[in-house]
Amino acid sequence: MKKFNSDVVIGLEIHVELATDTKLFCGCKTHGTDEPNTRTCEVCLGHPGSKPVLNKKAVDYALKLCLALGCKISPKLIFSRKSYFYPDMAKNYQISQYEIPLGIGGKLKLGSEKEIGITRVHMEEDPASLVHPNGMSGSSYVLIDYNRSGDPLCEVVTEPDMTSPEEARDFMKQLITVLTYLEIFDVNRCIIKADANISIKETNYSRVEIKNITGFKEIERALKYEVQRQQQEKGSIVHETRAWDSEKGMTISMRKKEVEEEYGYIIDPDLVITEISKEKVKEVQEKMPELAQDKIMKYEEKHGKVQSMSIILKNPKLAKFFEEVVAKGIDEKLASYWVEFELQKVLNRHKKNLDETGITPQHMADIVNLIESKKITKKVGVSLFEKLGKKIFDVNKYVEENDLLLVDDESELNKLCKDVIEENGEVVNQYKSGAKEALNFLIGKIMKATKGKADPYKVREIMENFLK
Amino acid sequence: MKSQIEKIDKEYHYFNKIADNFENKNKGKLEGVYVSIKDCICVKGMESRAGSKILSGYKPVFDATVVSKIKNEGGIIIGKTAQDEFGFGSFALNVGIGMKVPLNPHDKERVCGGSSGGAAGITAKADFRHIAIGQSTGGSIVAPAAFCGVVGLCPTYGRVSRYGLMDYANSLDKIGPIAKNVADVALMLGIIAGNDINESTTLDEPLDDYVSFVGKDVKGMKIGIIKESFGEGVSPEVEEKVNLAIHKLKEKGVKVEEVSLPITTKYSLSSYYIIATAEASTNLAKYCGLRYGVSDDFKESFNQYFSKVRSENLGEEVKRRIMLGTFTRMAGYRDAYYLKALSVRTLIIEEYKKLFKKYDALVSPTMPVIAPKISEVEKLSAMEQYKMDILTAGPNLAGLPHISIPVENVSNMPVGLMLIGDHLEEKKIIRLGSALE
Repeated sequence: MKKFNSDVVIGLEIHVELATDTKLFCGCKTHGTDEPNTRTCEVCLGHPGSKPVLNKKAVDYALKLCLALGCKISPKLIFSRKSYFYPDMAKNYQISQYEIPLGIGGKLKLGSEKEIGITRVHMEEDPASLVHPNGMSGSSYVLIDYNRSGDPLCEVVTEPDMTSPEEARDFMKQLITVLTYLEIFDVNRCIIKADANISIKETNYSRVEIKNITGFKEIERALKYEVQRQQQEKGSIVHETRAWDSEKGMTISMRKKEVEEEYGYIIDPDLVITEISKEKVKEVQEKMPELAQDKIMKYEEKHGKVQSMSIILKNPKLAKFFEEVVAKGIDEKLASYWVEFELQKVLNRHKKNLDETGITPQHMADIVNLIESKKITKKVGVSLFEKLGKKIFDVNKYVEENDLLLVDDESELNKLCKDVIEENGEVVNQYKSGAKEALNFLIGKIMKATKGKADPYKVREIMENFLK
Repeated sequence: MKSQIEKIDKEYHYFNKIADNFENKNKGKLEGVYVSIKDCICVKGMESRAGSKILSGYKPVFDATVVSKIKNEGGIIIGKTAQDEFGFGSFALNVGIGMKVPLNPHDKERVCGGSSGGAAGITAKADFRHIAIGQSTGGSIVAPAAFCGVVGLCPTYGRVSRYGLMDYANSLDKIGPIAKNVADVALMLGIIAGNDINESTTLDEPLDDYVSFVGKDVKGMKIGIIKESFGEGVSPEVEEKVNLAIHKLKEKGVKVEEVSLPITTKYSLSSYYIIATAEASTNLAKYCGLRYGVSDDFKESFNQYFSKVRSENLGEEVKRRIMLGTFTRMAGYRDAYYLKALSVRTLIIEEYKKLFKKYDALVSPTMPVIAPKISEVEKLSAMEQYKMDILTAGPNLAGLPHISIPVENVSNMPVGLMLIGDHLEEKKIIRLGSALE
């Protein structure tokens, strides 16, 4: 057993729902209609005579995760039956992996650069969901919905390497980043749940397991509560399993653990043991995208730490957008500014996500190019981008059709400046008597007259000349 | 036809369910052939209980792969045949609560043999063209075939899809035909065999034209007589009739030698019962009165409910095997029992494989005795009953195809000779078996 010395010791078992289209052992959809018990068949309902057939895509997804976490891949794929009676279990056993999980011995880096060990990654099927119509304690009956029964899960088990609830939260966040990058997890529909093992020094590390914590914010809350509880009740902390009640913000004892649970594992004889060849692993490896941490490192080497870049690179969709803008010849720092600030601003204002707007890297590159080549002002560029949030159009065409090109005809600007000087004699006098800021007012008038299309620097130059 | 079957059933109890109507408009190789299906194999919309009270009223929502193949070829499904509850027995005496024991077609005081007892019984009794679909885990096709005097063929594990078979022990279960003659058995095998995308353990190997091996010359073929299958524990009369049949093969030019299977003889029975019950105890967990079959008032906790439904609706032998199987896979015992049995199984397969390098088939009596009287079996302990599988456990554990052929009777009761073939060599045992007809 590991020797602990930190005040708090935390290990996680995280269940990740993989974003395959169909379930792990049958052809039922993993998503779609949510009307209870409509996405089911004889296999995921555990009818007598039905047999599982493995979803190969789920295996590929799980392999990606193992490789991303640096795990050693098992040469054989073996599924076991984990037996226990529970109403959410279609067969009263769960098809899982036991002796030989898909991956062992990996690691994941936290934001602080600390590495958390991964003990194992294995595949299993999700049980059905139990619905308590009036809450856990208030319902006199429970309903079972088998839509979820058989959804593909990956369980990631960590070493007890985390020493605070904040680290546990960050671990979850980092894991979600990896999962979304791999495109094996859909934040909008896939569930990520954790069981946490937590113990503190004062109780001589008597281990308490907290079940069923959903999401990374909840994990911090649950563990913070539990640390406090254990510190307060340190004399009476026992080895037990507790449930996290998110609404009440507390953990509740489920069962004391005098002995380890008995699952009577056997190899599932309905699923043949298959080889995972080196070629197969290589094939998956080659298709792996560059992960966030690698990308961040790559750009940091060039530019040092740029905050906007590391924010973008942690989000696979933004990262992809950013890299495509860069590929169109836009400077990396400039692109990162536009993605992190201007794009986010537009998305926030219209309360849309990127896909919903239809804004493409081409749109952004066109606007930035127009600004950089001084064909439009930045002000015009920003407002064009803002308009794209509402409705998509071709940037270059729009600029031409709406006469937005920068007014750089000197004779025209000269004339405008002269007019403004004539019309604002008083302000001109203020400027001449030393109130330099009065010039801004005059420049503002020109910008208004040109609807922002004039280059403010050029206008300033002309004005200063006239007023010498 | 239906009334004829009902009459037989009234007297001999071969059916757990007789089909409402006997019809199939499809044309094919089984046109006009009546086919009975062992109760544990799903027929869509027809009550299927695997011989257990706990599945009372359960009508499957789908056809087993073998059933849809039979329907496609024009076979007429006549009903679900009686069996030991979930296949747990060698005599078809361990029928589910409230069900009747099928009686031997040659002597109603004797057993049919199990677990596919109803299948073999109706096959012997039918005076119309009929083929039964049976199922074997440790000998449940050939044992009743031998006791009832018909031909039963248990194919290579994975040759016939198990999709729609209510599992006893998935790594051992095989579906196979029982008929009056080798030709019908060969015909049916050709129809039900083959790869199935719904069943991962089926083999993607080409099929043989099994019927073409019926009646084919056997001259020059080589068989090994399993030394340990004769002598102690085997009735001398049975031994005599089997030897007579072997002599018949010799006369037809088959080369006969004696072979030995020491590991198989010593360990097959124990490793069979450990693996089979370990798997069975997980398979039967789903029968808890929640979604299908019997149900009850849900008054207490789910654990109490499950226990109540299972206690009241599962038979004694089922409970024994669930307990046995649960024990052998518990932490602390798994290594000594379940995992050890798996490695012994590998040794047994290797022992057979060595012999098949030299021999086309191995021979032994199917059962060590003729069908015993029901009253005699009832006196036996569970352990003594398990020992009846001594000859059949080996090939079943090794997933080898085997066939039982009726030879001469002993005191008007049939005797079966068993031919065991190498994996996927059904054609060889069909060829040799038909030479004994």
